[in-house]
Amino acid sequence: MLLLSETGQFSTRYADDRRVFRLRQARLGIIALLAFSYLVVPLWASDYWLSAILIPFLVLSLAGLGLNLLTGYAGQLSLGTAAFMAVGAFAAYNFQLRVEGLPFLASFLLGGLVAAAAGVVFGLPSLRIKGFYLIVSTLAAQFLVEWALTKFGWFSNFNPSGVITAPPLSVLGVDLSSPAGRYLLTLAVVTVLFVVAVRIVRSDLGRNWMAVRDMDTAAAVIGIPVARTKLLAFAIGAFYCGVAGSLWAFAYLGTVEPHGFDLNRSFQVLFIVIIGGLGSILGNFLGAAFIVLLPLLMSNLGGSLLGGVIDPGDTENLQKILFGVLIILFLIREPEGLASLWRGLRARARVWPLRD
Amino acid sequence: MDFFLEVLIGGLLAGVMYSMVAIGFVLIFKASGVFNFAQGSMVLFAALTFVSLLERGFAFWSAFAATLASMLVLAWAIERGVLRHLVNRPPITLFMATLGVSFIIEGLAQLLWGAQVHGLELGIKDEPLEFGGVLLSSFDLFAAGTAAALVLALSLLFSRTRIGLSLRAVADDPLAALSVGIRLQRIWGVVWAVAGFVSLVAGLLWGARLGVQFSLSLVVLKALPVLIIGGFSSIGGAIVGGLIVGASEKLAEVYVGPLIGDGLENWFPYVLALLFLLVRPAGLFGERAIERV
Amino acid sequence: MSAAAYPPAPVAAAPLLAVEGISLSFGGVKAVTDISFAVRSGEICSLIGPNGAGKSSLLNVINGVYRPQQGRVVYDGVASMRITPRRAARRGIARTFQNVALFKGMSVLDNVLAGRNLHVRAGWFRQVLGLRAARDEADGHRRKAEEILAFLHIQAYRDTPVGKLPYGLQKRVELARALAAEPRLLLLDEPMAGMNLEEKMDMSCFILDINRDFGTTVVLIEHDLGVVMDISDHVVVLDYGRKIADGAPAEVRDNPDVIAAYIGSAH
Repeated sequence: MLLLSETGQFSTRYADDRRVFRLRQARLGIIALLAFSYLVVPLWASDYWLSAILIPFLVLSLAGLGLNLLTGYAGQLSLGTAAFMAVGAFAAYNFQLRVEGLPFLASFLLGGLVAAAAGVVFGLPSLRIKGFYLIVSTLAAQFLVEWALTKFGWFSNFNPSGVITAPPLSVLGVDLSSPAGRYLLTLAVVTVLFVVAVRIVRSDLGRNWMAVRDMDTAAAVIGIPVARTKLLAFAIGAFYCGVAGSLWAFAYLGTVEPHGFDLNRSFQVLFIVIIGGLGSILGNFLGAAFIVLLPLLMSNLGGSLLGGVIDPGDTENLQKILFGVLIILFLIREPEGLASLWRGLRARARVWPLRD
Repeated sequence: MDFFLEVLIGGLLAGVMYSMVAIGFVLIFKASGVFNFAQGSMVLFAALTFVSLLERGFAFWSAFAATLASMLVLAWAIERGVLRHLVNRPPITLFMATLGVSFIIEGLAQLLWGAQVHGLELGIKDEPLEFGGVLLSSFDLFAAGTAAALVLALSLLFSRTRIGLSLRAVADDPLAALSVGIRLQRIWGVVWAVAGFVSLVAGLLWGARLGVQFSLSLVVLKALPVLIIGGFSSIGGAIVGGLIVGASEKLAEVYVGPLIGDGLENWFPYVLALLFLLVRPAGLFGERAIERV
Repeated sequence: MSAAAYPPAPVAAAPLLAVEGISLSFGGVKAVTDISFAVRSGEICSLIGPNGAGKSSLLNVINGVYRPQQGRVVYDGVASMRITPRRAARRGIARTFQNVALFKGMSVLDNVLAGRNLHVRAGWFRQVLGLRAARDEADGHRRKAEEILAFLHIQAYRDTPVGKLPYGLQKRVELARALAAEPRLLLLDEPMAGMNLEEKMDMSCFILDINRDFGTTVVLIEHDLGVVMDISDHVVVLDYGRKIADGAPAEVRDNPDVIAAYIGSAH
């Protein structure tokens, strides 16, 4: 049987052509996946899997998505992802702290909006500076934000080490502070934001982003408002990172300090995007899974195979080396990332068991 | 006034060190169009290797030679293993590849030599010298002198020798250079080797000042705004940029710090670079390209 | 093929575009010196001249990519000193480039749809919400894009990334993207460069069809004098940044300065 057969499935309206999953099998698959994630996983997965693997995986996918919208779709390289995450988290914390009775989901949203504003501010130089020079602007954001959040106690309600703590997580009176609750919260936010992102990149805005990415002079000549398009990319990308920051702080870690959002975090998200695939929505999940699982795999393998031979400090260094090698390998062999591998697999599955 | 001068000159001397790391960048950028983020980790690797060899009983010059040799091997490996496979890729890809390289080098350096802080004693006294009422550190003066000599040597190498001429040809147009018989691989080899040498000198000076430790690789983050201000393709620009960054961040720390909080030297160079960019999008000495459509 | 087989061009008396005393230089190098000419509404006007004569620079001035040091461009009765590419596009000027300037990572269809961006009414937020009006509008743009793809015979490549198409087809896609804006003035920079005879004939027919069917005014740069003389209503000749002839094809062909510039006579 041809598993992914397209036989008999015709697009008869333009709306059919615009569907994200054009194949009936793909739609069934995604429904099954969602049902599994929402119903089966919270019941069956252990607390360790939920809080140490699945939640960071989902949050990092979301942060990757934010960066991917900005860099992969709109072509504006950013090394300030963690700064936007920090702005989102600290803003959400302050809204929660200072506005009586604000539902925490609303403070996530507001935190995201503040991050979007920060994104616009640090995106302004992109109107004049192109390409490579632009990293200086997002790096300025990275260092400036980290410094300001550490330096000015107000942001962390004068905690001596700048640490902020999660508000009680509950929606409509349902307590979500258990691992399963935090997982479901994260999953729900991530699902909604991914659906929105898919729709954005398929809207005229998404097309304009790609046009600006591929050739901004030509984009201006056909009438695309380049400045507005770039700033919207910064705003929306930073919004996604901001919400991811809130989830990272409150659904994953519980408490976080400004240095939890340092340059290394920005690099981590950048790697997710490269390994997953620039300009791909699915790639963010693949890249995040890779980044979250690889260290686990390595320490488990290291523990069982070489038990005791390698000390933990060395494992960290080995991990670093391996990451470096993998990034380079990906750039050389698979510049479009895991998402492109996936596309290849799917193309083969379409005709399986025949060969094309 | 004396105090101002002291801060200013201290800043300028620190700036010379930034310039040195930035020069390594400029060389590689000119020759292969790669924005080498691994420059900082090369500095770390060089300093760490050197100091570890000293601790294992090597004499100064033999340690220096051995480290230099290892830098050359490293440069060769980067060229062979990474860059050669990424010819004709967009600059962003190359940049990210060097990010990967910096991970490998940092991991490798610490795996080989451990992560502890090493003291490095070059035998240069660090005592305050007084010039007309202004106190200066003798070590900083020595470092500045070394950097100046290095810069002079490099400018001679690239303006007076055939290698230098070939390098400028490659920087201008690699394909045209290839077509008149310039061997690209050799130029790249030379440039990476020189960059390795520069990293070694920078690593020794920085290491002697701050101790040889992981944070040495972070000088790359200082060199970045230096390059932005000076332009990616000008050695003179790297020097001037380094001086500007060094002096202004010290002045800001001393005069602005008390007003808005200290520790601003991490971000100040970036904001400064940003301001420069908004006025001159290709840097102080960069050439502005005319966009042809 | 010749324009004779076509109905006469819908030329009106009034100029749609007037270039007045334009001078442009790059850091002291003069690209264009004191050029003036007018393009009447509805005509096909060709800019010809040897390489480096300043033709492309002139197109870049007309739609605001370059800013001239002197002179002005009057378009549709409005004079402007500092027009931006985007404002030019909004006022109905579309163009193609000498070295194809397509969005390489996007499909043919997406390139053409991007060309419709000026006609998009629904904001991105309404599109994301998937409101009925936004969906209907998207259908309308798609229909228009399909019409243009059919007009230029490139429907078959709808979903192909443009980077993978051969050069001749890329030129056609670029024309399709320009047409998607429904321009009043179409600037074509060497639309037939590097094409064989058959492809040139196809492209000539497309240009004539666009002009006759949609009444679009066309300014094109072309090196093939045979094609130029066949399809143009009006020819402007540049040499070393100066205008040396301006008139109907037949007049220009016999102009001694033009012959000298092209063949090089003894001065």
